[in-house]
Amino acid sequence: MILVTGGCFQGKTDYARRTFGILKEQEADGAVCPMEVIYEAKLLFHFHEYVRRMMEAGTELSAEELKRRNPGLVLVTNELGYGVVPVDRFDRAYREKTGRVCCELAACADEVHRVVCGIGTVIKHG
Amino acid sequence: MLILITGGSGSGKSAFAESVVTGLGGRKRLYIATMYPFDEECRQRIARHREMRKDKGFDTLERYTDLAGADVSGYETVLLECMSNLTANELYQPGGAGDRCVEAVLEGVRSVYAQCRHLVIVTNEIFSDGMDYDPETRRYQRYLGEINRRIAGLSDAAAEVVYSVPLMLKGDLKGALGE
Repeated sequence: MILVTGGCFQGKTDYARRTFGILKEQEADGAVCPMEVIYEAKLLFHFHEYVRRMMEAGTELSAEELKRRNPGLVLVTNELGYGVVPVDRFDRAYREKTGRVCCELAACADEVHRVVCGIGTVIKHG
Repeated sequence: MLILITGGSGSGKSAFAESVVTGLGGRKRLYIATMYPFDEECRQRIARHREMRKDKGFDTLERYTDLAGADVSGYETVLLECMSNLTANELYQPGGAGDRCVEAVLEGVRSVYAQCRHLVIVTNEIFSDGMDYDPETRRYQRYLGEINRRIAGLSDAAAEVVYSVPLMLKGDLKGALGE
């Protein structure tokens, strides 16, 4: 399992497609896909939106279980939490939750990549 | 050593800072807590951090302003968390340093570090979400940005934590991390 993170509009998903040779039909959009697809897709982008939907549905995600069921998955997520604390309570909880989930995923991921200006750096090596 | 740990909200920077402190060894550890318990949400955050460090041998000192007046003598390692709160407290709380907050905070850092062997400071990246804030919030960002830059300048090592992964910005922490 691989985690790709970085700011918005940095070319993270393109980087992931290119780096890991992923075909269009193997990827899923975390903002709209059925929740179960995360266990089947080769690449899931907008993972932070997936986290938002999990919160709205009141469900949790186990990083260990995800890695066991879909070991080849590439997750692409915005790196949230780099701004001033949001005024809205849900927004605060959402960026906090995304951070915690991504810390767990990063801890059990084989690699973590961070993309800035379309350029990826491997920050955790397998 | 003077060590600066930065990162976004929810990045795992506190857990990393605690692992650095425990890795530095030393038995007398002090945690300087700067978050003022304004409301229930703050109290929950404080409780979560207390739970995280409960078995790591820290005494806790709550210090919301005037870091320079803190007596930390007798402690070998001090963990200060978080610079973003301390700066906001100095800027906005009655009795805080107001527009002198940058100097007040840095004087506090120097004073605490003069009393201990290792000082680990946790701060927060609040500069990169691309939003345009009101002038007051911009002022706070500017002050915290300057504080972070100046502490990084003084520090022996600085790291940014990205979803639990530390990226070294300055120096190294090999000694502290047992590598």
